[in-house]
Amino acid sequence: MPPQSILRGQLLAAAVALGLSTSLSATAALADQEPCIGNSAAVTGPAAFSGQAIKMGAEIAIEEINAAGGVLGKKLRLIQYDDAGAPPRGVDNTRRIALADKCIAVLGGFHSTVALAQVDPVHEIGIPYMGVWAANTKAIENGRDPNFMFRVSAKDKWVARFLVDEALKVSKTGKVAFFYENTGWGNGALPDVKAALAAKGKELVAAETFNWNDQDMSPQVIRARDAGADVVIVWSLDREANQILRSMDKASWKPAIVGAWGISGNLGELAGPLANGVRVMQTYSFLTPQSEAGKKLLAAVEARTGIKDPKDIKAPSGIANSYDAVYVLADAIKIAGSFDWKKVQQALYQVSRDGLVAPYKPAFDKADPERQDAILPQYYLLTVWHDGKLIPLKGSPYDK
Amino acid sequence: MTTVVQYILSGLAIGGIYALVALGFHIMWSSAKAVNFAHGDTLMIGGLLAVYLLAAGLPLGLACLVAVAAGGLFGLVLERIAVRPFLSQQGSVGWMLTTIAVGIMVESFATIQTQGYARPLPSPGVVSSVHILGAGIYPQELVIPLVAVVAMLGLRALQRHTLVGRAMRAVAHNKNAAALMGINVNAVVAFSFALAGLLGAAAGVLVAPVVQASAAMGVLPGLKGFAVAIIGGITSAPGVVITGLVYGVMEKFVEGYISTAAREIIGFSLMILTLLVFPQGLFGKREVMKV
Repeated sequence: MPPQSILRGQLLAAAVALGLSTSLSATAALADQEPCIGNSAAVTGPAAFSGQAIKMGAEIAIEEINAAGGVLGKKLRLIQYDDAGAPPRGVDNTRRIALADKCIAVLGGFHSTVALAQVDPVHEIGIPYMGVWAANTKAIENGRDPNFMFRVSAKDKWVARFLVDEALKVSKTGKVAFFYENTGWGNGALPDVKAALAAKGKELVAAETFNWNDQDMSPQVIRARDAGADVVIVWSLDREANQILRSMDKASWKPAIVGAWGISGNLGELAGPLANGVRVMQTYSFLTPQSEAGKKLLAAVEARTGIKDPKDIKAPSGIANSYDAVYVLADAIKIAGSFDWKKVQQALYQVSRDGLVAPYKPAFDKADPERQDAILPQYYLLTVWHDGKLIPLKGSPYDK
Repeated sequence: MTTVVQYILSGLAIGGIYALVALGFHIMWSSAKAVNFAHGDTLMIGGLLAVYLLAAGLPLGLACLVAVAAGGLFGLVLERIAVRPFLSQQGSVGWMLTTIAVGIMVESFATIQTQGYARPLPSPGVVSSVHILGAGIYPQELVIPLVAVVAMLGLRALQRHTLVGRAMRAVAHNKNAAALMGINVNAVVAFSFALAGLLGAAAGVLVAPVVQASAAMGVLPGLKGFAVAIIGGITSAPGVVITGLVYGVMEKFVEGYISTAAREIIGFSLMILTLLVFPQGLFGKREVMKV
């Protein structure tokens, strides 16, 4: 055989061997997950604070779990990805976490639009997804069976009922207006709020929408005022809620305001005294009497951020949800006795623990599609803005 | 009646910002036949820097002045590194990409600094609202359109009565001829970008107490300001200012009487229609490009 064809033959053999070995390792890869949890959240962009909170909560939980021996004899890791609130990046990150990093589960982020986009790839691949913030109802109640989307956070459907109850409690006339941002989160909440009101035999007197970065809400405020509303339910982020408050101020209109947790960041700083008395739904606060686990988490958060006063901790709900979610996942891994996606998904229905935010007994219920959410509405918390800080409503000057 | 007055006043406040931004585009285009697409971000630089300088202990007035000056510096530097290298080549559009790129970088940096949170800038102009014919408005908001008009008049005076202003007009008219007359074209273009930067940062400082300073605060005004500059006729300073104010008021009426969601659809549809009828913009002069 001339030297040239020897070389060709060797090359061919090498190529075949290489092809075989890659295809072999690909099958092996699917079977062997790594002891990691991948998070896709907004670490940059306007909601960067949310990604930081989620990352901190998850990291603290993982440190504690590893200090106690890890899971199945291995140390758990967090792999952080940034989706900047963009759905395509969330989808890309999901695939990366599952197929490249081979993690056991995906931890969710802040944006409901991203969570909704992740439903498809999560089920295509069959990797468990654990939401920790984004509250859109349909992201988790997505009609799939088996459902790989779980959540340790609030659910808009329940938040809507919770806020409507509160709104009707503070309203004198029973006339409620709704202000919601023109996003997946805001638009998704509109039917939830309408349904929650309808269950009480009421209707919205005004439903007003706005876009991110809108600088003036006078038209919306004037319409809601002229419709006679005395309570406004707000589904917004801090920046836009500040514009709503200022436009109300300009229109000399002072309705009571109850908001979903988008306005739990720095509204008090932005709007100053105008924010006083604005009620906000939360899942967790560091200002209530803390459990042992709560004290431990608080100490860890203070050590990481250098914050001295718990009132200054931003996004406590995000931190606590993420912390609990990682513990729930670790429990499921231990019950499954494996890092296998399918086994962990099944095991999640058997998790039962006393969490920081709520008791999860059980965390999820396979028989009830509504119970892919671990935090039940009776554990939601009402807080209120007072002099720039978000404090528990109970015992505040507004608690009447 | 009160509602109509409210929409006009609120619209003028927003429109004043569009007008100031558009005026910056006008200044840059006139001298360089190129603009800084990161111009919206000069608003953010002005607003956020004022917040940070204030937090660092500077008095409010000084913090605002330094922030405005920083905007001018940003315009100057950006012209040198992202615009001038491309203008020497005929028909090069590299400056579009480079200015957008710088804008994205600056915005990302601001996002990291602020963690995405908006920051308040205190001002005596937003302590309490005043009422005009029953419509409520902050004094700060009333000042914005006035500043836009004053800036436009000031620009006109500058162009008529000062040497550098006349040089700007000469360069706008014909770059090569101006150069042959001994005008330092590069310096004039750099001056224009710095002036536009000053105006942009001033707009940011003015609007920050009302809308809060945030990394993304300049994005929408930047885009709308450019749209306004095109509709108004980018070659006419009074044209872009009037169009800016009218556009702001028009937006409020669409929000008030149709819906908030329809605002951009109607606004940008009108823009396309206007351009179809007046390709040079409402007040723009026809430009002859010699190739």
